[in-house]
Amino acid sequence: MGDSIETKIGLEVHVQINTKSKLFCGCTTEEGEPNNNTCETCMGMPGAKPVTNKKAIDSVIKICKALNCEISTPSFFSRKTYFYPDLAKNYQITQYETPLGKEGFLQVENTKIRIKRVHIEEDPAALEHAGGGTLIDYNRSGIPLAEIVTEPDIRSPEQARNFLKKLINILSYLNVIVPDTTIKADANISNSKNNFIRAEIKNVTGFKEIEKALLYETKRQQEEEVTKQETRRWDGTKTIVMRSKETEDDYGYIYDSDIPKMTFTQEYINKISSSIPKLSDERIRELTKIGVSQEDAKVITQDLFVSDAFEKIAQKSNPATAAKWFRKELLKRLNADEKQIKEVNIEALTEIIKMIHEKTITEHTGRELMTKIYDKNFSPIESIKKTGATMIKDTTTLKKMCEDAIEKNPKAAVDYKKGEEKALNAIVGAVMKETKGTAKPDEVKRIIEEMLTTL
Amino acid sequence: MTTIIEQVKMFESGESCDEYAESFIEEAKKINKKFYYFTEFCNKSSKRGGALSGIPVTVKDCICVKGVQSRASSAILNTYTPVFNASSVQKTIDEGATITGKTVQDEFGFGGFSVNVGIGFEIPRNPHDEDRVCGGSSGGSAGITAITKHAHFSIGESTGGSIVTPAAFCGVVGICPTYGIVSRYGLMDYANSLDKIGPFTKTVLEGAVALKVLAGHDTKDSTSTNKKIPDYTKITEKSIKGWKIGYIDPEGVEEPIRENLHESIQEIKESGAKTEKITLPISDEYAIPAYYTIALCEASTNLAKYCGLRYGAQEEPKGFFDEYFSNIRSKNFGKEAKRRILLGTFARQAGFRDAFYIKALQARTHIINEYKKIFSEVDAIITPTMPILPPLIKKASELTPLQSYLSDKLTVGPNIAGLPHMSLPTGKHKSLPIGLMITADHYEEEKMMTLGVELEEKNG
Repeated sequence: MGDSIETKIGLEVHVQINTKSKLFCGCTTEEGEPNNNTCETCMGMPGAKPVTNKKAIDSVIKICKALNCEISTPSFFSRKTYFYPDLAKNYQITQYETPLGKEGFLQVENTKIRIKRVHIEEDPAALEHAGGGTLIDYNRSGIPLAEIVTEPDIRSPEQARNFLKKLINILSYLNVIVPDTTIKADANISNSKNNFIRAEIKNVTGFKEIEKALLYETKRQQEEEVTKQETRRWDGTKTIVMRSKETEDDYGYIYDSDIPKMTFTQEYINKISSSIPKLSDERIRELTKIGVSQEDAKVITQDLFVSDAFEKIAQKSNPATAAKWFRKELLKRLNADEKQIKEVNIEALTEIIKMIHEKTITEHTGRELMTKIYDKNFSPIESIKKTGATMIKDTTTLKKMCEDAIEKNPKAAVDYKKGEEKALNAIVGAVMKETKGTAKPDEVKRIIEEMLTTL
Repeated sequence: MTTIIEQVKMFESGESCDEYAESFIEEAKKINKKFYYFTEFCNKSSKRGGALSGIPVTVKDCICVKGVQSRASSAILNTYTPVFNASSVQKTIDEGATITGKTVQDEFGFGGFSVNVGIGFEIPRNPHDEDRVCGGSSGGSAGITAITKHAHFSIGESTGGSIVTPAAFCGVVGICPTYGIVSRYGLMDYANSLDKIGPFTKTVLEGAVALKVLAGHDTKDSTSTNKKIPDYTKITEKSIKGWKIGYIDPEGVEEPIRENLHESIQEIKESGAKTEKITLPISDEYAIPAYYTIALCEASTNLAKYCGLRYGAQEEPKGFFDEYFSNIRSKNFGKEAKRRILLGTFARQAGFRDAFYIKALQARTHIINEYKKIFSEVDAIITPTMPILPPLIKKASELTPLQSYLSDKLTVGPNIAGLPHMSLPTGKHKSLPIGLMITADHYEEEKMMTLGVELEEKNG
């Protein structure tokens, strides 16, 4: 029956903007000893005043433009008042009537997810419950956050995951968020069976947890009857009622008159727009046109810098071979070595890919060369010249080597003839050892098989 | 009595700045025993030389002085000692002044008579009659300025009339400049869109000297102006000849005050300026409700931070955090502060917000436009500062909140419009001073003070 029930999901996503200093003061956003990165402003001392970090505003405008939003001008800050120990002033400086961006969308596969608003606000302090008491760390107080709010256009937890994946991909392309940042979201969920009476799940942290919480809540709403609007929280395995609510929370929003209204000229907005790099959708389209498989293109465009490096290399070598090498070798190696693409000697990488494509070397040799790929002075061509590890293309030489190998491994030859296919590996291995990996294993295998069958 | 300008010259010719500051503090302590103008004494200076070299300066309690208990005369800030100087304070220190004390006020600026001081504070007394009020909210600043025999000035603050009101009641010059001319950095906010810092002095020229030091752009206050500040001390070289001065002759003004206004009008004519009776019907009707709505909405958010958690009054935390916050706030805020927090919170709540807060903002725009239109025709406006002579403390304390709010009738207009305005003493009834208020267009402090100097001369 679940199939005929329509689910609606809306997300409010919070991400930290990667500025060096906080949103309204000069304190650093880096981690530090608790309460060391603080001043009178982010501690809410009487008399302190906020001064807006322009870089943070520009970053959020960039997000707005990448999400096809209209920019509010003028745009201003408001005070959202509620009493809570993590809030230095007992009000949060955020945006209410005039979010920086409004009425945008994000295309996720075949669905357009409408973006209701994108606004900027300050993060509260961090609370730590310890030893029966609560400690407050104001290092986090005042760190800039972007809040991205969708319309309830998402139809399933899977689609929500795809939306978030795409969103994070775009944000990392824009270089406006802290790399590997923890995403936080509030989600509202409702379905047709319950007349779209919605539950809001507050403050779920982490990509996987969000999907898990949505899966749980969608299922719960399909099975249970929902009669009133509720706020729930996610405990890691289930959602739990925090409070049921009749009306919206009342935060008594007023303008924050300490901060002048911001106005943006079209020229200014255009300038920010023009700093947005080509995003992954467009890159995937372009890559598939030049012969890269859809699968490889998707993997390569997950990261802006990998994608940029790929474009450079693909111009000088075969795109399909390069793409395969990126996905199968490069990315795995970076991951294993805990390195980043910017640490890679791109020229060396280009040479390796070229030699593989031209069959000058085998993939095996290529993999060996990859171990020196972080060395800025490394030249694979010179290295091959020295070691002579070029691929053996001369079939006569190869055949001779295969014959020798069969002779030296008579037992394996007999076993293979008896039908033990695995026995072949020993002979192929012997040839590969002899050639120091400069022969193509497939080719070697083919020759040996042929020899043994005709023997 | 020597002026600031004369005294700075005497320091240049060898008089000791430190001894002068000591002598002022000694005098102030003596005065304080009878008049209760101070919440704290101090002696802070960093260098000499500069426009205010050696001059003792007092600071309204709501303006932060580094290392000196600063409480906006509220018990909720007991023990609070700022870690930084307000920009206005820093500027006076940089010009060679000595910061000598913090002056008492209505708690957070919530009053017009200085009778709403916080729990544990004494009501300051009028320098001319101890049974009467000083006016507020910068009562202590005006009082000490009136009595001291030293060259001195006090840094005050106005949200809806808190500089000109006590200036009128104490018989001194109080200057409230255009919103944004003096940095608010380090000012404990009452209402951010309305708060303005300005000086109290004995004479207009001293006020000009002080304002010149206080004024100017500050990167720490985003609302501070980028405009170039003119040399205000040139006002004595200017004349009002050929100007047109508008005057408001409001109803319900005590007779000696009305008579005094007409004397001033006569003096202006004698100086070669035209006068014209004007009215401000929009301001008359809407300034007070709009002002109180905006001010209290903003105040209720500004005062949210005072909860006994990070500074000020504290107790052993017990119960859930909101019980603790409520306990501290209930015990330490005075009655008027509580009233204003409740009114302000109410007026910005969903369902009322559009009817009150948003409407008040719209009314402010109309009021500003009305003033702008008048200033396209006149150079300055004069009115009595207060419709009444300084009342007895007992009487002022018995006023209903509404009666009390209505006494701001004449001062609220320029304050909500962010216009420069000042009060100067233009006469006396028996022993009680009468103040005249001059209002000018935005950034026309020079015009305002030029007229001030002219009237000061006429009044000897």
